[in-house]
Amino acid sequence: MTSHTEAIDARDIANLGQLRDLFAHADPVPSDLAERMKFAITVHALHAEVAELMDSALLTTRGADAKVEPTPTDSVTFTAASVSLMVSASPSDQADTDARVRIDGWVTSPGAQIEAVTIEGSVSEISDANGRFVMDDLPHGPVHFVITDPDNDDVRPVITPTIQI
Amino acid sequence: MTPTPTAPDGLGTRAGKAFAAYIGGDRERLSELVDLVTPVLWNAARSQGAAAPMCEDAIQTAFLQLVDRAESIKEPAAVLGWLVVVVKREVWRLSRGSRREIGVDEVPEAPTQQLDPESHSILSERQRVLWQHIATLTPRCQELLRVIAFADRPDYAAIAESLGMPVGSIGPTRGRCLQKLRTTLGSDPGWAV
Repeated sequence: MTSHTEAIDARDIANLGQLRDLFAHADPVPSDLAERMKFAITVHALHAEVAELMDSALLTTRGADAKVEPTPTDSVTFTAASVSLMVSASPSDQADTDARVRIDGWVTSPGAQIEAVTIEGSVSEISDANGRFVMDDLPHGPVHFVITDPDNDDVRPVITPTIQI
Repeated sequence: MTPTPTAPDGLGTRAGKAFAAYIGGDRERLSELVDLVTPVLWNAARSQGAAAPMCEDAIQTAFLQLVDRAESIKEPAAVLGWLVVVVKREVWRLSRGSRREIGVDEVPEAPTQQLDPESHSILSERQRVLWQHIATLTPRCQELLRVIAFADRPDYAAIAESLGMPVGSIGPTRGRCLQKLRTTLGSDPGWAV
């Protein structure tokens, strides 16, 4: 006989493990819930304006034959009231494999700071006089961008939804 | 991803360290905290019987309150328990509109755990047997065991307290809920391996 005043043992841990598997199977945590929580926290902490995902080339480059799958070209446009951002992803120049990603970006404000937040942390670039910027050597996976004006702290930052690169 | 009961640091301790680092200026550690605690918070929210979107709102509110009040939280190490309290309270606050009988100051009890028919149909044979045994426990025990199952042994006592269970209801001793689960499974010849 066992009693409720005894220490938790391996059998109890095994029972709880089975219980965890049951609920994880029958009522799983939504797969993107943690990422959405992080995004909400970032928007909240920055008092940021959220840019809208306007169009993805995935949706637009449809072939003549309607049955043909859209050709994926990894280019995405985001728009907010104050600024628009277009980014396209390609394999990085830095590596022989396609393990790393290069981002070529264009933003409607020259001299803006664009921060890419990835699973490895964040990388920042300043857009040139034409609004162009390049970020090489990013990891595959989720990324979102934060656009700020380094010369004016009063302007609300703009944050984009997370995309996969 | 599987919690390791023998690990020196339980989930709550690791979450506390990440949160302390975040308060100390290492802002990116918050992401680690979110990854660590989201499964516990999801089950704490869902065990109250609320629909998924309401549970997501409650969890988001808890994280945003945590960020807003980060500097004033006295014990960063207790962050997991703090979040569980806020999530449970928030689920009940959100659902109060549709359940007028819930009093403002009442500490609500979780309902009997339910699975929708579709979820039930994807359970394995053994999980169905386990489910039948779970259903024989009190709603309080069902709630407690469901939530601690997603944490580690050192966290059980703190989580039980966060859910409103009396001190000593679980951890380091087995407690009545875990004992009941053990007894009911042990009495089933079909469960024995």
